[in-house]
Amino acid sequence: MPDNPNQHRLKRAWARITTPLWEGVIPEAYGLALAATLIVGLVGASLCASYAVSRETDALAAESVRGTARVVAAALQASPQDDPRERAALLETLCKSSGATSARWTATDGSLRAEWRPKESKAPLDVPTHEASIQIVDSDGVQAGTLQLGMSPHETQTTRRALLWGNAIVAGLALLLFLRIYWKLHRHVRPIHAVRRNLTELARGVENDLQALSLSDSLGEVASGWNQLIEELVRLRGDGDAPHQSGDAAQTVFDRFEARTLRQVLDRLPIGVLRVGLNHCCVFANRAALQFMEQSEETLRAAPVSEVLGDEATALLSAQNRSPSPSSFDRHSGPDDGGVTLRYTVYPSQRETAGGERLLTIEDVSFRYEAERSRDRFLYHVTHELRTPLTNIQAYAETLAKPAFDDEQTRRECYNVIISETRRLSALVENILSISQLEVGSARVEMGEVDLVRVLRQMVEDNMGAADEKSIDLTLKLPPKTPRIEGDKQRLSVLLNNLIGNAVKYTPEQGRVNVILEVEPQFVRVTVSDTGIGIDPAEHERVFEKFYRAADSKIQAVTGTGLGLAIARETARLHGGDIHLESEPGKGSAFVVELPLSKSSGVEVEQR
Amino acid sequence: MSRILVAEDDPHILSVICLWLSQQGHDVDEARNGLAALQQFGDKPPDILITDVNMPGMDGLELLHEVSQNAHHLRGVVVLTNRWDHREISAGHAGVNVHVVPKPFSPSKLADLIAEIDSDAATMSPPE
Repeated sequence: MPDNPNQHRLKRAWARITTPLWEGVIPEAYGLALAATLIVGLVGASLCASYAVSRETDALAAESVRGTARVVAAALQASPQDDPRERAALLETLCKSSGATSARWTATDGSLRAEWRPKESKAPLDVPTHEASIQIVDSDGVQAGTLQLGMSPHETQTTRRALLWGNAIVAGLALLLFLRIYWKLHRHVRPIHAVRRNLTELARGVENDLQALSLSDSLGEVASGWNQLIEELVRLRGDGDAPHQSGDAAQTVFDRFEARTLRQVLDRLPIGVLRVGLNHCCVFANRAALQFMEQSEETLRAAPVSEVLGDEATALLSAQNRSPSPSSFDRHSGPDDGGVTLRYTVYPSQRETAGGERLLTIEDVSFRYEAERSRDRFLYHVTHELRTPLTNIQAYAETLAKPAFDDEQTRRECYNVIISETRRLSALVENILSISQLEVGSARVEMGEVDLVRVLRQMVEDNMGAADEKSIDLTLKLPPKTPRIEGDKQRLSVLLNNLIGNAVKYTPEQGRVNVILEVEPQFVRVTVSDTGIGIDPAEHERVFEKFYRAADSKIQAVTGTGLGLAIARETARLHGGDIHLESEPGKGSAFVVELPLSKSSGVEVEQR
Repeated sequence: MSRILVAEDDPHILSVICLWLSQQGHDVDEARNGLAALQQFGDKPPDILITDVNMPGMDGLELLHEVSQNAHHLRGVVVLTNRWDHREISAGHAGVNVHVVPKPFSPSKLADLIAEIDSDAATMSPPE
């Protein structure tokens, strides 16, 4: 059955009446009722006790009066007086001595024989008089009448007064206690009830004027706490871009809390995030966005984003109204090689987001471009380096195939070139593979104990032929004792061969290449120095880059893959060491490799 | 037959080009770099210039730019290159017949190209 709106309204109205009743008034009433019951019980008990004491006192008083009456009667019997005046005088004497308040002696026939009554009653009116009747028998044993004696015993009066005071004190204390409990309950329950009622109103959204929901400060700490909350809420609403005329106010508080948390998260993102309203003005921008655009949030809010981002972004934002998927463009600033490239992406507006706002992100994609440029450079260099040996192989193979060139010398030259260029090609391929693996860290490394002296001797020997051809004096200087180091023998051989080979290659004829091994406490140092052309300090770092060939024509005149030093550096680093260059133009170069000694390298190789 | 100047820094490539063109009966001069080629170009003007692009000192494009100022006798220029941007290489040299040959190249095809340039020149401007 669908909900009848009237029924619903009725329910809400009922709830508005009953909820405060259950949640405020009734708990308070319960508390008060309980206190009242306790107090009434206390007073009742006090009264009961008073009543019991009073009754007992009365009984005792009555007994006391009867006793006195008996004594008076006995005295009267003992001395019967015929004279009425004497009788009265005797009665008065007896009464005064016994403390009686009244006495009346009536004969059996009902006639009054004697009576005594004090002239003025001193007994307080509220104190009851106990009376006792006693038969008087004369000495002959004849009934002489009845004595009625009234008495107000002193004890009864005292007890009654004490009880009265006691009850009054108990009642007074009970009243004070009740008032105290009432005050306490009122102080604690009322504000809670008021806050609860106001919260309910707030949650229902019936109250838009938040100030009206604040409580009187006389309600204590709860009220002041609530008032602070209301003030905060008023402040938050004031902060907002548009006042929320309707909607769930409590939800708004929660949303704002969430928004604040979200903003903190967004401000930590490296990606710029902007919310752009329909008027193309920025509604929100996180810290990264402001940094990318070099704008303050105020200026961004005031002006359309097109003024900051340019027409491209405006077009994208306009087009995005129709496009279902995100679209983006990249903008580059600064120098072509390097500089910063920002990618602007506009996401379609979602129906659930208010007012057709668009989301724009700004990302720094410079590294992607740099990676692309680096890949392009690598490919360019690789193909460039491959083309030269391939050109030679193709040209000389074709020459070999042409019958016109059939003389022995030409054929031999063809074979030699084809073989050497094939070697160069395979070395190049090997180097490219090697550097790629080293760079991505996937190089297969076979670590073991390496006798560096033996490796150095081998490498020097291998390069001796090339050195001799150019009359270069290639020498190796070793320390007396060298510990073995831990490393990949094959890769270390390549490293040292690259350095020694380069030194021989770039040193002019009649030059000198010295290979020196030194042992330090923590590492070994291999220095390959030459008397070559030297390298400008500006290029000291760049010589280790892939495919970098120094601009010097003397260097460019020598064939090389441009990978040897890059491989050497990666290999040294793979072994936990490094390589650097000490050189000045015209003064030769020294490549210095430092490799750490393995911790367990106690074995020393003695030089023979 | 033509007088040909070959500018190439790779000695093997230079050698094989010279071998083939000499065998075809051309008068071939060698230069190991751009500057040497420019020198020889002035001393002994060739009919055809064959140049590599990447050379130490003065590269092939600079050489081409220099010689195109004084190219009235030049029948054609063959540019050997590793580069991909062939159009950019041949552009901007009005009045010079530029042919771009990518490496690796076939020496027989290079010889055919030279013969073609020769025959084109012969039909366009018969020798005086």
